Amino acid sequence: MASSNMPPVPAKNDVKATWAYLEAGVEKIMTNLRGGMDMKTYMGLYTAIHNFCTAEKAVAGTSFTSHTNRGGAHLLGEDLYQHLIEYLKAHLKDVQARSKEHTDEALLTFYIKEWNRYTTAGQYNNHLFRYLNRHWVKREMDEGKKHIYDIYTLHLVRWKEDMFIGTQESVMRSVLKLVEKQRNGETIEQSYIKSVVDSFVSLGLDEQDSSKSTLDVYREYFEKPFLEATAEYYNNESKQFLAENSVVEYMKKAEARLDEEKDRVPLYLLNEIMTPLMRTCEQALITNHSEALRDEFQNLLNHDKQEDLGRMYKLLARIPEGLDPLRTKFETHVRKAGIEAVNKISAEGDKIEPKVYVDALLEVHTQYQELVNRAFNGESEFVRSLDNACREFVNRNKICKSGSNKSPELLAKYTDTLLKKSSAKMNEEDNIENLLSQVMTVFKYIEDKDVFQKFYSRMLAKRLVQATSASDDSETTMISKLKEACGFEYTNKLQRMFQDMQISKDLNSAYKDWLGKTLDDGDLKNSVDATYHILGTGFWPLNNPTTSFTPPQLIVQTYERFSRFYNNKHQGRKLTWLWHLSKGEMKANYCKVAGQKASPTLQVSTFQMAILLLFNDSETVAYDEIAEATKLDKDTLDPSIGVFIKAKVLIAEPEGAKPESGTTYKLNYGFKPKKIKINLNIAIKGEQKQETEDTHKTIEEDRKLLMQSAIVRIMKSRKKMKHQQLVSETIQQIKSRFMPRVPDIKKCIDILLEKEYLERLDGDELGYLA
Amino acid sequence: MAGEDAKTVTLTTSDNQSLKVDREVAERSILIKNLLEDLGTDGAEEIPIPNVNEAVMKKVLEWCEHHRKDPPASQDDDSDSRKKSTDIDEWDQKFMQVDQEMLFEIILAANYLDIKALLDVGCKTVANMIKGKSPDEIRKTFNIQNDFTPEEEDQIRRENEWAEDR
Repeated sequence: MASSNMPPVPAKNDVKATWAYLEAGVEKIMTNLRGGMDMKTYMGLYTAIHNFCTAEKAVAGTSFTSHTNRGGAHLLGEDLYQHLIEYLKAHLKDVQARSKEHTDEALLTFYIKEWNRYTTAGQYNNHLFRYLNRHWVKREMDEGKKHIYDIYTLHLVRWKEDMFIGTQESVMRSVLKLVEKQRNGETIEQSYIKSVVDSFVSLGLDEQDSSKSTLDVYREYFEKPFLEATAEYYNNESKQFLAENSVVEYMKKAEARLDEEKDRVPLYLLNEIMTPLMRTCEQALITNHSEALRDEFQNLLNHDKQEDLGRMYKLLARIPEGLDPLRTKFETHVRKAGIEAVNKISAEGDKIEPKVYVDALLEVHTQYQELVNRAFNGESEFVRSLDNACREFVNRNKICKSGSNKSPELLAKYTDTLLKKSSAKMNEEDNIENLLSQVMTVFKYIEDKDVFQKFYSRMLAKRLVQATSASDDSETTMISKLKEACGFEYTNKLQRMFQDMQISKDLNSAYKDWLGKTLDDGDLKNSVDATYHILGTGFWPLNNPTTSFTPPQLIVQTYERFSRFYNNKHQGRKLTWLWHLSKGEMKANYCKVAGQKASPTLQVSTFQMAILLLFNDSETVAYDEIAEATKLDKDTLDPSIGVFIKAKVLIAEPEGAKPESGTTYKLNYGFKPKKIKINLNIAIKGEQKQETEDTHKTIEEDRKLLMQSAIVRIMKSRKKMKHQQLVSETIQQIKSRFMPRVPDIKKCIDILLEKEYLERLDGDELGYLA
Repeated sequence: MAGEDAKTVTLTTSDNQSLKVDREVAERSILIKNLLEDLGTDGAEEIPIPNVNEAVMKKVLEWCEHHRKDPPASQDDDSDSRKKSTDIDEWDQKFMQVDQEMLFEIILAANYLDIKALLDVGCKTVANMIKGKSPDEIRKTFNIQNDFTPEEEDQIRRENEWAEDR
């Protein structure tokens, strides 16, 4: 049966002969597999093992003592197994000895070649010894015997013990030398390293279950030294590089190195090394130099080096808590930038244009928001720092020195200019949307949101009453933006004002119908064509007129008619006429527009109308007469007349005389205006400033009420509370509107104690009195 | 070391007979499968099977032919169902209706050639022959000589009294 160069097939129960036969075969497989093996030899070897294992009894007196079996048939095979172990030990001893002749790359070539040869042979032997695996080895393992492996695993175990342990150190030294060469820019044979990694991984055997593998060997003998060498390499390199180059250059280098190491992993390393390798590189390249990096941050900010800032962000983001110091610096920097921007424009003092101020704030915000988005990846913590800084400089800067009221006031005024009808600026619909969004950006940072509300509602009222709003859509947009930011309560009144305007519109058309039904044509022709706005007192921030006034008879008739109609519809409502907000148009039939046949129309306030109507009865009217008839006080009357003199509608006599007792006024028949409509309803100076001051005054009052109601609300639900707790709770509730000061809250608590909403209890506690 | 993929192989039995079979059929035997994988084959070299004669080999190949499309036996198929069940499918039952000598030859060959499923069927068949029989009946069935002394027999019976069906 045996092939020519093999010993004869042994008797099946002769251990010595069987092993001699097997050894010849195994030796051929180990050392000369390339020489080929015929099927006869292969089958002969398998059959010899089969026959040995199935022999009825082994010959006594073998070199290995067979154990006594309890229960079950006795399985033969241990002798062969032990013989194979001895063979492998001897074989590997020789391999290891030969490995000493090589170093560096030659050693790697040797190791890999031997490893491949050995493992291939191991696969063969595993097949040939399969009968042993199936029976004797299986039984031994089932019985829980330690250190018994299937034949292939046995090969690995022997390699590890008899070859690997003795050579791994020099192998790794060669591997690390190769990697260092590559890091230095040389080209290396990467497959060497990959083969070594694969070999080390294969040697990780699970002691509990030989069918599983672990990475223990690889971790201990490859990963650990690899990481140590990496750390050393980059510690040296980074130190040297930083000593010779700028931080900016260093960051580029570090970034490139980190990318390079990341790319190295899939080339020839195990994916498992990615995390520890990155940690190691980050420690050496970033953490060890984080101070130097951070010191450069301010410099980069000052020169707006976005790309370098982005690089620094990316580097420091890799290490734990790497960014915290940057955030603090960034916040300080933005705050300073904001304060400086305001300083630059604050020369104009109180008279500063709202637009200039808001633009200055926005510019800083926009610049740094862009930086956050581009360089800092829009990271939420940096956004927070930006917000903190903006909140600081929006509320506390040179303009706001007199009080933080200034920012919301200017912002509201700026918004007013955006929403007001104006021929000067042609704001496209989407452009205004944009501008309003910007307003909201600043608004978000405003602490005294109540001040903004006050100013905004006043100006909205004016826009509505005077019909100077540019677009209902924009107004609604703005209100819904505010609602989104501050909730329903904040915009409630604003919305009610809008509603009133709509209701008034319907009311006016109903009134027209009613007039048509109740008046005959003659009366209708003589009546004054009038429009009415009915505004709810509680929602509109409008003051009663400061001056007394007796409306002319013609107007009285007109509004009394309306009052009748209105009282019919809504009984028990009181109508108060806000004369200072009313206006009208009058046709000057006594003169013509220059070069035309038509008579001009004068647009006037109701006060002016009352003055001019006097000239229907007499061409000359004395100052005292006017004062007497209209009952207007001097502060209102004089400027109203002044407008007429300036527009040459009236002529003062004597010429140039001041509006005072003794002066008379004459209608100017030579009045030849160039336009058909002449607007004489010009706001009286000083009125505006007065308004602003009033607004600020009411804010203080409103705040007291707001604080008191918050305190009562809290106490109502808690019944009892410590003083200190109540104060801080109140701040929590109020701060979305404005930042309340602690002494103010205490004052409010005192007021509530006096009014007996609250009572003092023992131990600094307050109680709620229903 | 995959083979050059000849479609058929020739087996040489212990009595020097050549049997040509489809490679797929022959590879039901893990031994042959590994051999072909390790050495490769051009189909020309005959595979010696020194432990099986022609008659038994033919019988084994008949079984392999019938089961050629079965899912390949996994290396360690020790699932409980296979171990416990004594069910044998109909074809296999008929296949195993051979004289006792041939039955044992098949089992030995299956063990040698590493055809687990066939080994199982063979062993189950024997198990079914034993099931429900008294020791004497079993001895008779398999032509076994009772080599216990009466004393030994007595002791064994006492030791296993608990298992008696009373």
